[in-house]
Amino acid sequence: MIGWYEANLVLIEATFLNFLLALSIQVPLRLGVFSFAGVGSYGLGAYTAAILTLRYDVPAFVAIGAAVLLAAVVGYLFSLLVARLNGLYLAMATIAFVLIIAVLATNGGELTGGANGLYGALSDLTTGGVVAVCVVVAVLLALTERGPLRRRIEAVREDPELSLSMGIGVVPMRQMAFAVSGALGACAGAMNALLRTTVSPEEINFHLIVLALTMVIIGGSRSWIGAFIGSVIFTWLPSMLASAGRWQDVVYGVIIILAAIFMPTGLLGLVQTLYQKLRGRRSAAVTAEAPADDTAEERALLQALGGESRGGVQ
Amino acid sequence: MTTTETAPPVLEAEDVAVHYGGIKAVDGFGLRLPAGRIYGILGPNGSGKSTFLAAVTRLVPLTRGRLLIDGEEYHTAPPTKLARRGLARTFQTVRLLPELTVLQNVQLGADLHAPGGRLRSWLGRDRPSEAVEEAIERTGLGDVRDAWPTELSYGMARRVEIARALASRPRLLLLDEPTAGMNHSERQEVSELMRKLRDEGLAQLIVEHDVQMMVDTCDHLVAMNSGTLVAEGSPQEVVSHPAVQEAYLGKRWRSHA
Amino acid sequence: MLEILINAVTLGSLYLLFALGMSVAWGTIGILNFAHGSTFMFSAMVAYFVVQTVTLPMWAMVLLGAAVGTVLSVLTQALVFNLILRRNPDLLKAEMQIVVGGIGTASVLLAIAQHYTKSVPFGFSASTFKVATYQLGPVHISNVQLVILVAALGLAGLAAWWLKSARAGLALRAIGVNPEVASLMGVDRSRMALGTMAAAGALAGIAGVLLTYYLGSIAAETGDSFLISAFAAIILGGIGSVAGVVTGSMILALAETLVVTQLSGTWASAVAFGLIFVVLLFLPRGIFGRKEVRRT
Repeated sequence: MIGWYEANLVLIEATFLNFLLALSIQVPLRLGVFSFAGVGSYGLGAYTAAILTLRYDVPAFVAIGAAVLLAAVVGYLFSLLVARLNGLYLAMATIAFVLIIAVLATNGGELTGGANGLYGALSDLTTGGVVAVCVVVAVLLALTERGPLRRRIEAVREDPELSLSMGIGVVPMRQMAFAVSGALGACAGAMNALLRTTVSPEEINFHLIVLALTMVIIGGSRSWIGAFIGSVIFTWLPSMLASAGRWQDVVYGVIIILAAIFMPTGLLGLVQTLYQKLRGRRSAAVTAEAPADDTAEERALLQALGGESRGGVQ
Repeated sequence: MTTTETAPPVLEAEDVAVHYGGIKAVDGFGLRLPAGRIYGILGPNGSGKSTFLAAVTRLVPLTRGRLLIDGEEYHTAPPTKLARRGLARTFQTVRLLPELTVLQNVQLGADLHAPGGRLRSWLGRDRPSEAVEEAIERTGLGDVRDAWPTELSYGMARRVEIARALASRPRLLLLDEPTAGMNHSERQEVSELMRKLRDEGLAQLIVEHDVQMMVDTCDHLVAMNSGTLVAEGSPQEVVSHPAVQEAYLGKRWRSHA
Repeated sequence: MLEILINAVTLGSLYLLFALGMSVAWGTIGILNFAHGSTFMFSAMVAYFVVQTVTLPMWAMVLLGAAVGTVLSVLTQALVFNLILRRNPDLLKAEMQIVVGGIGTASVLLAIAQHYTKSVPFGFSASTFKVATYQLGPVHISNVQLVILVAALGLAGLAAWWLKSARAGLALRAIGVNPEVASLMGVDRSRMALGTMAAAGALAGIAGVLLTYYLGSIAAETGDSFLISAFAAIILGGIGSVAGVVTGSMILALAETLVVTQLSGTWASAVAFGLIFVVLLFLPRGIFGRKEVRRT
């Protein structure tokens, strides 16, 4: 048992760090915010922690704390900047943000170690510390997945206009999501930098974005549990696929395609649906979508055509 | 009698206009709704009723005019503020959250007034409040409280929306075509519920297509066309107003009469 | 200086060929194909393997690239995007699934390409084509550059005309404005979608082959970096507008070329990212963007 643990320590640690990285995308996604800025915060956090450790020799938790705080503030400011963007546009802007951070890191001269990055950031961070942080984060997030807060989050994601009319402040919640996403990403990045004692701009690339996104998509975007499932799968999948030999990357891609088509709510959603079916939740509807008359549809059509009705319904 | 006369109307709209993209959806429309009254807005498709409602609930900006709640101007306030002042509304289309049960959807309405503030609502136990239980009971949803929105009939889904609005214990209730898709007995029930609520002092504004229901339920009707006022008065007065009859009631009304 | 300009315009033309199909597809049928970059690269790779056994002239290579690109994009649309949409008809909610599906497809194509090329760059030296430079007045311009310029501007012009005047083109634009009404008026959305993706794939394939001729060789990873640049060009010019993608591509290429020659190579990629960011913040619809865009 101990042998296995020590042999796979790197992967075990990576699982927890990937968990936080996945959360940095999953949390805003719960609110309907399609943002990859958490991956940029990963880079910010990694460099902040490395720089503080190398230059000022601070203990691990101070370096991580500072990284988290900085990224949370940056995340909040970023949310102000992109306030009017939604959907794919927002996603694009956040992808650009991540890649800009990589470029800044490459061109940061002495501060960031340029293209080579920084190394030798030795610290007192332990595996136990990483796990403890993850447990705390999971508990805090679990608390947001019940009660009034959960309902509010659902409302903001599904129907922002309805939320406003019910007194739910959509904009402050979105800003909060960006701040939290920044904090989570930075935590992952900082801890990674301190455990591996290095950070380089090559780590912050499109593939990291893809990894974070696929963890969430396949694990499940509705809950922290989904993020954890995703991180376990994607941390250990490469070693499991090694038996598939040279085609493992193809298998990886095919899995992603299949998940996109068949599992929009991820593995977690799949399990939840099965569970509910077993408990006898009747699936779909006696619901008649349209009202007795056609007025609603006519109205929608008229609105789409931009015109006004010239009179009553015939 | 003097107190009710000097109190400002719960809702007042004065010379409201909403113009966008070259369209004058609402152009000089107004009303004054006192407490304990049911007012109805009657009008054909495209007359601007729903836009007016959207303007009153601050989901759409005003081009001109004033909006007052309890005599206080609010036409620059965000919609969230209105909810806190006791305004609740339902929408033309069913807007229930699919991942919440009926009970949870109704609870959403009451969450606004959760006791003890944010932290307590985060950590405390999540028991449905009195207002929620009452709303469910009054709309007859007791049997389906744990059902999912996809399992409900259209009429029932609409009732959940009404319950959700009631759960916030509003002072002003706006209903946008609440009985569309309901059968006759369901409509009667909604009408009865509205009248009971009115007797308890709630001010209500209803936009409806079913003229008969409006006549039976409302204390006062306002007829609208092309964004402006056409006629106003008691239901009987408005319905027999020649311009109103000619413009929208036409064949449909005669078949009911 | 003029040489730099010509190089920039050539680069811009390549961006244009690559981004044109993507922009039209995104703006009309609402599909943002993240596999477009890999398609572009894969088409060139197939052409490479073919020309190792059968010597071909440039025009045949270009056609081959177009064919491969068409097939790949049509397959992606039919097997991946259509399936996603069928299970999730609300385009807004399916957006993320489509992005993920595209990323998955891109990964598959990339993995296959890396396997067969062993991650070594490949070029078309086996082709009959030989690079020649001409002197037009004060400037030198190569035949490759000329082909690229003519192809890009010609095809862009064709696309613009088609969207404006051809019946099918108008139908496609109708889908872009309001899909529900368009189908009520008899437009077959799924057939148009396949056709649009086929054209986009063909353009990507052409771009891939021409880029390989221009640079001498490309690698399996080249597709992804072009993808990001394409985003910048499309967003800058305005989604769905041909004039927009032409303008955006040229401006991007010019900016990148200037940065590389005046500043340093490491900042070059930042141009695309920075552009995306700045445009989305200050001019989200782009230069030629439509007034109403599907999502804010």
